[in-house]
Amino acid sequence: MCFISHACALRKRGQTVMAAAEKPTKEKLLATLDDIEVLSRELIEMLALSRTQKLPQPGEDTEQILELLVQRDKEFQELMQTAVEQGKVHQEMQALEKEVEKRDSDIQQLQKQLKEAEHILATAVYQAKEKLKSIEKARKGSISSEEIIKYAHRISASNAVCAPLNWVPGDPRRPYPTDLEMRSGILGNMSNMSTNGVNGHLPGDALAAGRLPDILTPQYPWQSADVSLGILPPHHGNDFGLEPPGHNKENEDDVEAMSTDSSSSSSDSD
Amino acid sequence: MAGVMETEEQARHRFQLELEFVQCLANPNYLNFLAQRGYLREKPFVNYLKYLLYWKEPEYAKFLKYPHCLHMLELLQYEHFRKELVNAQCAKFIDEQQILHWQHYSRKRTRLQQALAEQQQQQPQAPSHGNTTSK
Repeated sequence: MCFISHACALRKRGQTVMAAAEKPTKEKLLATLDDIEVLSRELIEMLALSRTQKLPQPGEDTEQILELLVQRDKEFQELMQTAVEQGKVHQEMQALEKEVEKRDSDIQQLQKQLKEAEHILATAVYQAKEKLKSIEKARKGSISSEEIIKYAHRISASNAVCAPLNWVPGDPRRPYPTDLEMRSGILGNMSNMSTNGVNGHLPGDALAAGRLPDILTPQYPWQSADVSLGILPPHHGNDFGLEPPGHNKENEDDVEAMSTDSSSSSSDSD
Repeated sequence: MAGVMETEEQARHRFQLELEFVQCLANPNYLNFLAQRGYLREKPFVNYLKYLLYWKEPEYAKFLKYPHCLHMLELLQYEHFRKELVNAQCAKFIDEQQILHWQHYSRKRTRLQQALAEQQQQQPQAPSHGNTTSK
């Protein structure tokens, strides 16, 4: 009887075994079990009968049954072997599947990390490029500190950007060149014209003034006396009348024209 | 007229002219003068103003004594500004604001000096306070 219970346990396991193309092991096992059951019942009946009847039964049937029984038993054993092996295989398969899952998750993890790394690197590269750009920009615009200090000195000393501390309304000094200064420069002296010559400020009549006597002509440093260090203005090709770029020596004509125009348009002459 | 090559002497002379002229632009009265005579409406003149923007480069800007002119030059690039300059009140307003701004630094400096003077006045009193508390 423990035999049969053992078989039942294996049957349960056999249920999880994958069906082969042929009849599944489980069915075969069950069929064989049934056969054995039938055969052994017959044998027992025969034995019981022969005992009660006390007849020397011919041994043929008994032999037959015994043979069949042995056969079935052999089959049964074989099937059990097969079932055990199949069980093992199935276990291996499960183990491998677990392995596969693990590897899968590993790969996904690596993928995520790779993506992250790529993102970080891309950001870093971008920022580095920006930094390089700004370095380049700064280098282009770099000026020696000495020059800057010199220039700061220059524009402050003459009160061009900061009012003198004792300035009161009525003081003729201004943050721009006054009429006087303008007239005493090259521009102002380019053509001699006369008006009501005034010193100081004339609302709106800047260049229209007579030439000051040479003695009185002040030399203002804004007129670039110290400038002839070889620097030249940007070259311009042609007509200012056209759309830029394309400028001309007409600029000088413009300058002269302005001075002459100012004299011709001012109401008084001579 | 096309592409006349100028000698170095001429170029230097032109440099001085343009230096003077661009600085004159710092004077709002002069700007008013130009506007009233219609120069600011002429296209060649406007192009010339655009050309003058080269004075913003450091190698040229270092020759400017009146840096206000650069700001005026930038404003002059706008047509609206050029139109407004015809009014005398506009020029007067600019003049006033310019002078006030010009005084800004000296005002700040006097304020700082005053604050410093006040601070120094307070300091001699501090040690005497310390003495009283230590008692």
